[in-house]
Amino acid sequence: MTPQEAALAVCGIIAVYAAVRVALEPDTLRKLPFFNVLSFAVAGSIALIIPHPLSIIAAAAYFVGSTLESNAIASTYAGGLDRRE
Amino acid sequence: MDISLLAFAHILVAAAVCWLNFIVIDVFFRLPEAGGVVGATAIGKHIEKGGGALHGGYMMGNIVSSPDASAGTLLAACGVFIAGIPGGLLAALLVYIGNRICHDPGYAGTTGCLTATFIISGFTLIGFSPAEFIAGMVIAILTIQGISHRHSSRLLSTLWRVRRG
Repeated sequence: MTPQEAALAVCGIIAVYAAVRVALEPDTLRKLPFFNVLSFAVAGSIALIIPHPLSIIAAAAYFVGSTLESNAIASTYAGGLDRRE
Repeated sequence: MDISLLAFAHILVAAAVCWLNFIVIDVFFRLPEAGGVVGATAIGKHIEKGGGALHGGYMMGNIVSSPDASAGTLLAACGVFIAGIPGGLLAALLVYIGNRICHDPGYAGTTGCLTATFIISGFTLIGFSPAEFIAGMVIAILTIQGISHRHSSRLLSTLWRVRRG
């Protein structure tokens, strides 16, 4: 097993574990840290599976996108910003 | 030693290095002080309601809501794995853009990405593969965000008290 395959195995196992924790957690806001772990594992897997310069951008775009989604979900659940001024 | 066992041993060392890199930078940049956006504050309060500590919860909320030093470390590892130090610097630029997209005024992510780039490049000189740092960072974030929010938030709050003095 090469270091790359070992790393991919670790990322894959953690991604599945995080997905199960997201599904089992009843509190929506507390799902998000588990979803964060899932995003890390998937972004890492993208770079490990496709070692091409563009995949740095793909992994970063995926990661920033999922972070922005979590940010939006959390802020909406928290009531959002009051913009009526 | 068997090559795969060596790879897993390297991954554990890499996890410890990544953990220290992102925790030191995040705590230095005052992530546990308060939620950077409304959502991060709400996550911190929910973690406190679940038996955790408030300031650790804020830091976990901030990690969720914007690319911080942990994301910087992960993307630096991806960049160095694919294209060496220039790849890590490209990752730092992408983290900087990501911070601005997520309405984050701080520089924890960019700083973490730059320090991680040079740390990981240094470790490749002594036989580590950058791929092991990708897996290491995933394990490091798992210990904070993915096992027990109650215990990890308390640990982060303790570190915040030390930082604040």
